[in-house]
Amino acid sequence: MTDHPPNPRSRFIPELTDEDVYDALGRLPGYLDITTDDFRDLYRLAYDHALGRLMGGLKAGDLMRRGLEPVRPHWALRRAMEQMSARQLKGAAVTDAQGFVVGVLSETDILRWLGAKTFLELITQPTDRLVGWDAQLREASVQQVMTTPAVTVRQDADYEAMLSAFRGHNGRRMPVVDKNGRLVGVLARKDFLAACPFGPR
Amino acid sequence: MLVISRGSPPRVSISEVWWSWLGAFLGIGAVALVSQWFLVGTDLVLMIGSLGASAVLVYGAPRSPLAQPRNLIGGHMLSALIGVLCFQLLHPVPGLAEAVAVASAIALMHLTRTLHPPGGATALIAVIGSAEIHELGYLYVLVPTGLGAAILLLVGVLVNNLSATRRYPEYWL
Repeated sequence: MTDHPPNPRSRFIPELTDEDVYDALGRLPGYLDITTDDFRDLYRLAYDHALGRLMGGLKAGDLMRRGLEPVRPHWALRRAMEQMSARQLKGAAVTDAQGFVVGVLSETDILRWLGAKTFLELITQPTDRLVGWDAQLREASVQQVMTTPAVTVRQDADYEAMLSAFRGHNGRRMPVVDKNGRLVGVLARKDFLAACPFGPR
Repeated sequence: MLVISRGSPPRVSISEVWWSWLGAFLGIGAVALVSQWFLVGTDLVLMIGSLGASAVLVYGAPRSPLAQPRNLIGGHMLSALIGVLCFQLLHPVPGLAEAVAVASAIALMHLTRTLHPPGGATALIAVIGSAEIHELGYLYVLVPTGLGAAILLLVGVLVNNLSATRRYPEYWL
């Protein structure tokens, strides 16, 4: 193991094994006067620098969508669903009166409230269950159904923070908050992926 | 198994060993021939030990930055200059002259981006060399040092590029 790692900024740099290094050195004919450790250090620093160049400008605040109205925890679930479906949204942030994010409400949460994991599972249930849904939706409040606490990202979150947050849960969107924790927008996974500069565009 | 350790580069292929051998044979051989044909009867010598060290780099590690023409020629000639200067100024104290010569040669090669390890030997030879070497004075910079390095370079450019897997130099300056 190296005892003087060059301390890269990124935690996502894959470690090169001896096999990786020797394979690369072996593909270049002739003697290269570089140790495996120097090779590894150079790789990590260069990779880190490239990542900074490609990802340096990527901030959650620039990628998020603004103006998506949150729902409130005390609302009837039905009301929240009507607001979401009117805007063709599959999820919404849940905020309190001061704008602090207290949870997220998604289609998956509502399906779970109705006893199904997926939409297909829901619509293949016996038809007599249909009658119960309407009552279940009217009785419930948002805070009974929402996922809490919400996974959020800060407005100034960089590439790695966004990646960690998306990896940490299954949601397709996350509330974006200011430094005090107040909602400022919603970050969609597809917007984040589209902004990542890797692979074919 | 994931192994992460410190190690030296892998052993080169047999064909690389062969090309290194051939290059060094022809390079040092050329220096010897030029020395015999043109310098016999003069007080000049051409074969100095540091050329053997240069051969290791030019023919054994032609990709190395240390082996490129800028370093080969620049490192030798600047170090020779330092060596002669140190001998002339400090020869009453031989040990000091030797130490200052090698240390200053390294410093100057660093500053001029011409680091070439055999340059240290070239500087040292200027101080500890034979009476003939000492009598050369600053001519030592040109012959044997500059000429010897130039012959190794010429042979390097010719021989190293015969191999499909070699390219020399990587850059000139």
